[in-house]
Amino acid sequence: MKIFKRNGSWKESGENKPEVQTRRTFLEKLGLGGILVGVAGIAFQSFRSLIPNVLYEPPKRFKIGQPASLADGVTFLEEKRLYVFKEGKSFYAISGACTHLGCTVKYTKLNQPKQIETDDGKKTINFEFHCPCHGSKFYSDGTNYAGPAPRPLHWYKLDVSPDDGQLIVDLGEEVEQNFRLTV
Amino acid sequence: MNHKTIEEKLEFVKKDKLFLSVSGILFLLVTAFGFYDYYTPEWRSYQSEFRDLVDEKFGPERAASIPAGLQQTYVPELNVADRCITCHQGAEWKGLENAPQPFRTHPTEILEKHPISKYGCTTCHGGQGYATEMQAAHGFVEHWEKPLLGKELGEFYVMSDKKALMQMNCNSCHRYDKQTKGADDINRAKQLVMEKGCRACHVINGRGGTVGPDLTFEGEKSPEQFNYERIKGFKSEFSWQVAHLKNPKELVPESVMPNFNFSSADAQALAMLVMSWKKANVPIDYIPGHNFRDIPTQEEKEKEERMLKGPGAFFVKKNCFVCHSVSTLGIEAAAQIGPDLALAVEDVQSRFGRTLDDFLARPTGTMEVVLSTMITLTEEERKEAIEKLRHAYELKQKELK
Amino acid sequence: MQLVELTKKAYEKLIWTWKPGSEKESGDAIVKNLLLHWFPNKVTKGSLSWSYSFYLGTISFVLFMILVGTGLVLMFLYVPSVERAYSSVKDIEYVVSFGWLLRAMHRIAAHLMVAIVFLHMVRVFLTGAYKNGGAVGSNRPLNWIIGLSLLVVTLLLSFTGYLLPWDQLAYWAITVGTNIAGSAPLVGESIRNFLLGGTTIDQNALIRFYVLHVFFLPLIVVFLFSWHMWRVRKDGGLAVVDREALNQKPESIAPVKSKTYSLLGITNGTTVHVQNRMIDEERNSVPSTPHLVRRVWLVTLITFLVVVALSFVFRAPLEAPANPSVTPNPAKAPWYFLWLQEIVTITTIQIGSFTVNGAFIGGILLPGLLMVLAIWWPYRDRSGIESVGVWFAPERRRQNWVFIGICLLIILFTIIGTFLRGPYWKFYWPWETWPTMPVKF
Repeated sequence: MKIFKRNGSWKESGENKPEVQTRRTFLEKLGLGGILVGVAGIAFQSFRSLIPNVLYEPPKRFKIGQPASLADGVTFLEEKRLYVFKEGKSFYAISGACTHLGCTVKYTKLNQPKQIETDDGKKTINFEFHCPCHGSKFYSDGTNYAGPAPRPLHWYKLDVSPDDGQLIVDLGEEVEQNFRLTV
Repeated sequence: MNHKTIEEKLEFVKKDKLFLSVSGILFLLVTAFGFYDYYTPEWRSYQSEFRDLVDEKFGPERAASIPAGLQQTYVPELNVADRCITCHQGAEWKGLENAPQPFRTHPTEILEKHPISKYGCTTCHGGQGYATEMQAAHGFVEHWEKPLLGKELGEFYVMSDKKALMQMNCNSCHRYDKQTKGADDINRAKQLVMEKGCRACHVINGRGGTVGPDLTFEGEKSPEQFNYERIKGFKSEFSWQVAHLKNPKELVPESVMPNFNFSSADAQALAMLVMSWKKANVPIDYIPGHNFRDIPTQEEKEKEERMLKGPGAFFVKKNCFVCHSVSTLGIEAAAQIGPDLALAVEDVQSRFGRTLDDFLARPTGTMEVVLSTMITLTEEERKEAIEKLRHAYELKQKELK
Repeated sequence: MQLVELTKKAYEKLIWTWKPGSEKESGDAIVKNLLLHWFPNKVTKGSLSWSYSFYLGTISFVLFMILVGTGLVLMFLYVPSVERAYSSVKDIEYVVSFGWLLRAMHRIAAHLMVAIVFLHMVRVFLTGAYKNGGAVGSNRPLNWIIGLSLLVVTLLLSFTGYLLPWDQLAYWAITVGTNIAGSAPLVGESIRNFLLGGTTIDQNALIRFYVLHVFFLPLIVVFLFSWHMWRVRKDGGLAVVDREALNQKPESIAPVKSKTYSLLGITNGTTVHVQNRMIDEERNSVPSTPHLVRRVWLVTLITFLVVVALSFVFRAPLEAPANPSVTPNPAKAPWYFLWLQEIVTITTIQIGSFTVNGAFIGGILLPGLLMVLAIWWPYRDRSGIESVGVWFAPERRRQNWVFIGICLLIILFTIIGTFLRGPYWKFYWPWETWPTMPVKF
């Protein structure tokens, strides 16, 4: 703006002055308002279109087979990143997603059993979960004890399907560490 | 001199400003109109109607649990993303059997074997699952070739069972079934194929004569492949098939196919069967009658039977036979990792310097692990094992002599 | 207060890193800046007039900006894969909020742009605006060629956009289009295979057309357009300015001290402003800001209004998914190529035992010749300076009629191809109904 003023070309020979000084008419204000609101509307439309209304994602609840056909001990469902445990007749499932930044934790067998302190007293464990990304470590029940992970691994609810007796995992429903499904 | 030109200029300036203001307002109106569809989509009125219906029937609590907004059934295996349940929200509810469409409960029996989550809707019903407006979703629009195979279409073709057309889609997976429960028209057509001996001339499901064309994938043909010159009325592949079955020579004068004098209903059923012969592009576990298990051969079965019923049954039941054969008792190890237990009495003594009784009570090495985790024996079982192994050893001794 | 100062300083540090130290420098700043250099300081009444230019160039630009805006959003929503392209477009139509509107606007704006750019070319020809006027360093024939290139790129942009939905329309339009390219002698087959990334239209072709459509061709448009506008300024503004200068009464020419600025380092010659000294600025011109700026806003708004209104009326169609085994009947190219499709059906000729494919004559030779003729014409046109920047100059009457004749023929063939050709490319009068095409049910 300064540039123009300096060499004087901005200053018209007075012909624009009356216009500049007359106040904008009501219609002009309305028109300008229309443009501004309209542009805001278009901006909204463009951004809203980027928020999906339907998702192409696998269901949160899914069947994983008959309880009897599951192997004793741990089974890792790779596609779902889920560790499912079978201890005799009781079942539980621990998420394989690290609570720090979501890498898949690795089931690590300990060379020799380890004593840990839990809320329910002392316990012996013979495996742990280790995260490959930032070195978080979790006890066998998912409790974090080393590394940057802020929370224990998630436990998900297991159910038995009423129609065919298969185990159902519900990734939408978290449960406490004492959860056991007895079949 | 200048005065006039300023006037002139102001004239166009005024006009421009006026036009600009007016188009600014129009711009706002046009943009606002773009929102109309966003706030009042067709499905929203169905959803609110459904909520009222549920509120009235089951109370406000259940009505509150109904999801709002676009709903989708996504079945990656079948590449299906159906939005039907956006309006047909009651399909999986109990107790809405007599509710008006689109809220009615889907017949439950068929859903047990064909859950919506595994099949979607359009796999069986046809129609355009992508669409979120009724007319387009039911597929009665230009450029959509798979309309809803429902009552409307059945009425159009004057079918005796108005909803029978859908059975075509059943048969794209059930084509090798002799009879399919619920697909009566298709079943009748299959019966007719047997009775009239269609296979004498046609290859059907990969088997038959070569006088007529191969019909194995007749349903794959596009409608452009047929000649409609002699078709009176609506020109569609289905009309052609029906008319052709009723009187082949009328449509194809040079045809040698006999006229079987099919009734309209039979011709329609056969046309449905013929058009259902498509390439079902589905994962193998969707095809009925598949068998994923390794079926044991007769020989393997007999062997298993023999071992289970013979004198060595104990070792099969306790899984010893996984590693050990007991040759004299007819037990053959699946994986012959461990030594033959027929010689165990002698073997244990020479290897460990201990008696069999002693070893089994306090095993060492691999057997310590196996007998403490995988195979646990009670006191009686251990005694039984020792007894049986002694017997096996005796038999072995005899054999050697 | 201090915070305001600090913010100001930070802003200047980040955005306004250079301040002119002298008048020369401030002049340079304007000259060197593409955006500020876009509009001249003053515009003449003739340049502003509706009836001279119809603002067709401005409208083309606005349409291009609409296409860029809607296109950027659509790029987030569309998946360029054979498996998912069609369903992603269906999703845009049915489950993306405002998706149908974005797509309809993108399509309408694309069609309009083809039409408007063509009309812009017609306007320039009929007003003799490709001819040099009085300005030194003026090279309007070059700008005419840049404009022709922009027309070609516009057509290519439109054409590459056609394949993306992967429906029947897309698939068969591309089949016909690339086979025309393939009919060129010697190199045709290789060009076709390079365009498609193979011998059939499949994933390779889709991703190639996609990258061309969303990156390379728009980039070329931006480059050519900037050049086009810059040349307009360097050529002495719109051709009508030369006309106005010519119309000046001799006595009104005030003696001006000869003072010339050169466009430092940008180009040879002197600035346009100084060259136009013949025009009485007081009487015949107004400052660009706000008058031209206001005009451009007005044109922008009206163009936008028309595009949106048409989008409400004409929803973008989507045909059945691409099916390589079934050709729709009739299979038509996009409408702006239908005059060529009309011509390729009648130009297969036999010379003795030798057959020349109509695709080559009608699809390559004829449009190629037209293009060469158009490029050459400004150099052939020897009409005088009185024919610059005026509609239907008497001296150019004959060439104008020939040009109008060619354009009318193209339009006529386009209309025939669009509205009067039915199944099997048979001719049907508007009152005759086409036979209905069979359906499955």
